[in-house]
Amino acid sequence: MPLKPVLTKDFAMENLEQLAVYERAGGYTGFKKALEMQPDQLVEMVKASGLRGRGGAGFPTGNKWSFLPKGVYPRYLVCNADESEPGTFKDRYLIEKSPHQVLEGILIGSYAIGCNLAFIYIRGEYLPQHEALETAIDEARQAGYLGKNVLGKGYDIDIILHRGAGAYICGEETALLTSLEGYRGEPRLKPPFPAIKGLYGKPTVVNNVETVANLPHIVNNGAQWFKAIGTPTGAGTRVWCMSGHVNRPGNYEVENGTPIRELIEEHGGGVWKNRKLKAFQPGGASMMVLLPEHLDVGLDFDAIAKAGSLAGAGGMMVMDETTCMVDAARRFVKFFHHESCGKCTPCREGTFWMANLFDRFEGGEAREADIDLLLEIGYNIDGRSFCPLGDASTWFPRSVIKFFRDEFLEHVSEKGCPFKKPAVEAVA
Amino acid sequence: MAAVQTEQVNLTINGQSVTVPKGTLILDAAKAIGIDIPIFCSHPKMAPVAVCRMCLVEVEKMPKLQPACAVYVAEGMAVRTMTDQVNKYQKGVLEFLLINHPLDCPICDKGGECPLQDQTYQYGPGASRYDFEKAHFDKAVPLSDKIVLDRERCILCWRCTRFSEEISGERELALIQRGVHTIIGTFNDEPATSNYQGNWTEICPVGALTSRQYRFISRPWDLDRTASVCPGCSMGCNIQIDARHNKIGRFQSRENVAVDDSWLCDRGRFSFPNFQRKDQERPMIRRNGAVEEVSFDEAIAFTADALKQAGGQVAGWASPADTNEEMFLFRRLFREVLKSPHLDHREGSVPDTDPDDMTLPIADIERLDHAIVLGGQDVIDAAPVLHLRLFKSQRKGVNVLKVAAGDGKQALDIVPAEALAVGVLATEANKKAAMDLQDKLQQKVKGSVRRLIVTTGPNGRGAKDLGILPHFAPGYASLNGQPGKGRVDWPGAALKALYVHESSPLNAFSPSDAESMWLPKLPLLVFHRFKPSPVDAMAHVIIPGHAFTEKTGTVTNMEGRPQRILDAIDAAWIREDWRVFMAIANKLGADWRYDSVSDITADLVGALPAYAALNHGERVRWGERS
Repeated sequence: MPLKPVLTKDFAMENLEQLAVYERAGGYTGFKKALEMQPDQLVEMVKASGLRGRGGAGFPTGNKWSFLPKGVYPRYLVCNADESEPGTFKDRYLIEKSPHQVLEGILIGSYAIGCNLAFIYIRGEYLPQHEALETAIDEARQAGYLGKNVLGKGYDIDIILHRGAGAYICGEETALLTSLEGYRGEPRLKPPFPAIKGLYGKPTVVNNVETVANLPHIVNNGAQWFKAIGTPTGAGTRVWCMSGHVNRPGNYEVENGTPIRELIEEHGGGVWKNRKLKAFQPGGASMMVLLPEHLDVGLDFDAIAKAGSLAGAGGMMVMDETTCMVDAARRFVKFFHHESCGKCTPCREGTFWMANLFDRFEGGEAREADIDLLLEIGYNIDGRSFCPLGDASTWFPRSVIKFFRDEFLEHVSEKGCPFKKPAVEAVA
Repeated sequence: MAAVQTEQVNLTINGQSVTVPKGTLILDAAKAIGIDIPIFCSHPKMAPVAVCRMCLVEVEKMPKLQPACAVYVAEGMAVRTMTDQVNKYQKGVLEFLLINHPLDCPICDKGGECPLQDQTYQYGPGASRYDFEKAHFDKAVPLSDKIVLDRERCILCWRCTRFSEEISGERELALIQRGVHTIIGTFNDEPATSNYQGNWTEICPVGALTSRQYRFISRPWDLDRTASVCPGCSMGCNIQIDARHNKIGRFQSRENVAVDDSWLCDRGRFSFPNFQRKDQERPMIRRNGAVEEVSFDEAIAFTADALKQAGGQVAGWASPADTNEEMFLFRRLFREVLKSPHLDHREGSVPDTDPDDMTLPIADIERLDHAIVLGGQDVIDAAPVLHLRLFKSQRKGVNVLKVAAGDGKQALDIVPAEALAVGVLATEANKKAAMDLQDKLQQKVKGSVRRLIVTTGPNGRGAKDLGILPHFAPGYASLNGQPGKGRVDWPGAALKALYVHESSPLNAFSPSDAESMWLPKLPLLVFHRFKPSPVDAMAHVIIPGHAFTEKTGTVTNMEGRPQRILDAIDAAWIREDWRVFMAIANKLGADWRYDSVSDITADLVGALPAYAALNHGERVRWGERS
C-alpha cells in the first residue's frame, strides 16, 4: 500500500523550512481560517476530528483543551518537543523539515484555548532543530503571524522557545513545566492537573509536536476528512520512527491501522541481512515487547494495547534473531536507571537494583531466582512510583521475561551471554 | 478572611466509618480513628509531596494504590490500609529504602527514635534480597558548625529541603544530582547559616542530619526527659530537656501550636551548654578580705544580719530568667520585710511597661491583614522563632512589613484604611515608636491595631507582671506615690546593699561602667547565682543557686502566657532559691510557711487572680484594656 501522508506530504519540497516555500505549499492557510472561527468552534472541531495526542498516552486532544477552567487567564499552551524516548525521532524530523507546520499548529491551538503566550520546550540535544525553530519564529514574527494583533484580527500571540538541559524526565508534562519554570526537572503531584494549575500555576495545555502539526490540516480539510483517515478510535496518520535491524530505518508516516507487517516489511524493507524477526517494540524503549505473531496487528493505539503493548511515542524498534533479549532489556533498564529523577523511592532504588541484576545476568553470575526477583521488583515499582517513568521502566524487562524466560535461564546455565556480542556497544 | 470550611465528608477506612471535614487527607482521616498509616516524607506542617511512597493504600474504584498523604477524602470513599496488596508493597518500599541505607543503627544517634528503624520493624521484610554493593556517599559531612550530614543514611524524604523552603523560607538546603545519586546539600557546599538548622535534625526520619553537640552523646532510651521552656528568649518555646547521668544532652522541641508551632531556633536549642553545672559549690562569705566556705545556714544568717544593718537602703535585682514564684517571694522580701522599693530586673532603662504590650498573641499574627515588624531584623534577633511565624503568616497572605524603627511612617502609608486586623511588633527598646505607630494606625484604619512587645529573657514578662520594677506593684498597680529607684539610678542612690539573684548565664547581671565603679564601694553585695561570674570578685556573700534548668516553677512569655518549667537536672546539694528567700525573710521576722513551689504558685494566683490562666494553659489577661 502506498503511503498517504498528511504531515509529511510536502517534505520532498526543497527549502520547505523557509516561510515562503511553506506558504507556497499552502502554509498558514489553516491559521488564517482558524482566526475566522470562534475558539470554541475550533475546540469542537478538534474534538470531532478524533485527534489523539501523539506524545504517548493518546489522550483526545480536544478533550484535553476543554478541561481548561472557564475565565481563568492567562493560560498557556506548551508544545512538548523534548523527544527523548529511545527509539523515537519523529518530532525532530517534523521540526527540521517543516518548522512552520509546527508553529502553525501551535498558533491554532493557542487561539483555540485563548492563549496569548505559547512555549516550545525542545530537547537540549536538538540544536539544529532549535535553530530551525528560532529562524522560523523570527520569520513568522516578521510576516505578522506572531506578535500583537496578528493578521489584523485582534489576537495577540507570541512563542517562547526554551531548550531543555538533557533530562529524559522533562518529557513528562509536569516535569517539563517544572523545568520550564526554572526548577529541578521533577514531576509534580497530580491533581491539580496542568489544565487547572500548570505553568506558573495557570491553566496549561501540553501538546506534542506531532499533535499540533496535525492541526493545520484538520482546520483546512475539516474534522470529518480527518476522522475518515485511520481507524474509528485512531483517526489520522502517525509518523513511525523505525530503527534496529531493518533494511531501511527511518521515519514513515502511515495511516493508523496499517498492519505492522506492512511498516516493517514493505516500507522498512524487512529485517536486514536476510535474518528472521525475533521481536519488536512498537512504542519506544518503555513499551512491552511484541513477537512475529503480532505482525498483523494494526498500527493504532487501541489495537497495539490489545496485543499487550503500547503505541507510545511511535518508536518501532526491530530486533532480529541474533538479538540477546536479556541484553536488550539490560540496555533499557540502564537507561531508566540513569534517567530516574530520584524523586520517589520505587523508581530511584528499583531501577538501580534492576540494573545491577541485569548486569549480573550478562556477567554470568545470575541465579535462577534472580528472574523472579526481577519480576518482584517490577511489581513493586509499577503503579507505585510517582510518575510513569518508574512504571515504564519495568514494562519492557517484564515482558521480555514473559516471552523469553528461556534466554534468562540460558544466561544462568551458561554463566554468561549465549549470544555473540556486537563489536561496539551502543551508549545509552 | 476565608470562611471556615465546615462541609463534612463520610468515608470508610478498613470498613470503619469516619466523618471528617472536606479537605482532609486520607492519612489524617485514618489517624482520627486510630489507624496508623506509615509515612516518611509527609509532615503535618508541610505541603504533601508523596515522594517516599510508604503510605500507599487501596482506594476503591482507583486502579492504582494511592498515597494517603496526598489524596483528599471524598464522599463515599472506601479506603483499605491493611490488605495483602498494601502489606506486600510496604515490605517492598522498605526493602527499596534499605538497599542503599547503611543499616548502621548500632552507632547511629537516631537509633531508638528512628522512624525508618521503627517502621522497618513494624512493616518491613525480615531480610533483604539485595546482595550487591550498596551505593556509597559521603559520610559525616559538616553542613555547618551545628549539623553533620550522613548522605548514606539519607532516604531523600525532602523534609529538610521543604523546611528550608516552606517553613524558614531560606532555601538553604537543596537536592543535588538525580536518581540514585541524589544528595542533599547547600549551594557550592558553603556552610549553612540558618538559625533554624536544629529543626532539620528533628524532622529527619533517619540519622542523616544530626546535631554536632549531641553526636554520640547518648542513646535515646538512656535519656531522662523533662518538659520545660526554652531559656533563650521571651518567646517561650516549649522544650524537652533530654539529660543523661544528670547532664543535659540536648534540647528538643515540644510542640505548642500557640507559641512555637513545634519549632526552635538554634540560639535557644544549642544554648544548653550554658546550663551545664561544673562543680559542687558551697556558699562563700568574704570576711576581712578573705573568702571562706560556709554552710547554707551560715550564709543565710550572715545575709539576713547584713541586710538588717542596711535598713531600707537595699536594692534587689532578679534576673528575667527567674521563675514567677521566685520573683513573687523576692518582691515580698523587699517590699514587706526589708521595706525597700528599689527593685528591678532590667539591664538598663527601658520605657514603662503595661499590659497593652501583649494584646497581640503570637498565634494571632497569622490572622492579621498587616503585620508591621518595627525594627525589622532586630525583632527577629530578639525572638528568632517569630520569623517562622511571620513567614508562615506571609504564606497565608498576611502582609508582613519589616520597617526600620524610625520608618513607622512608611508602614502607616502602606496599610490601607480598610484594614481589619493590624499588628505592630517591636522590641522593648522601640516601644515608644511602636505605641506612636499604633495610635496613628488606629486613627486611620477601620479595624483593630494590636501590639506585641518582645521582652527580655524567658521571664521578663513575669518580672513586669509581678512588679520587679521600681514603679509598679504586681499587676501593673500603682505604688501610690512611693516609687523606688531603678537599676540605672542605683549607683548614685546612697544604697547600702544590693541583692542580685541570677538564674541563667544568658540573662546575667553584667555591671555597667557606672556599676563597676560603684559596686566595689558598696558595703554589701549579695550574689545569689547559678554560675560563677566576674561579679563574684566584688560580692561579700556568694550563695549558689539553681539554674533555669534545675528548678520548678512558672515563667511568662512575651505574650503573657505563663508556662511551667520542671527541674531536669538534680542539684539537690544546693538549697532551692525560694527556700533561701524564705529563710532570710523568716530570720528578719517574717513567718512564711511554704512547703513547696506549688504552695507559692497558689499564693501567687491568690494575690494576682489573672494568673489563674496558668492552670488552663492560657494567657494572662489584665482586664482586657485595649
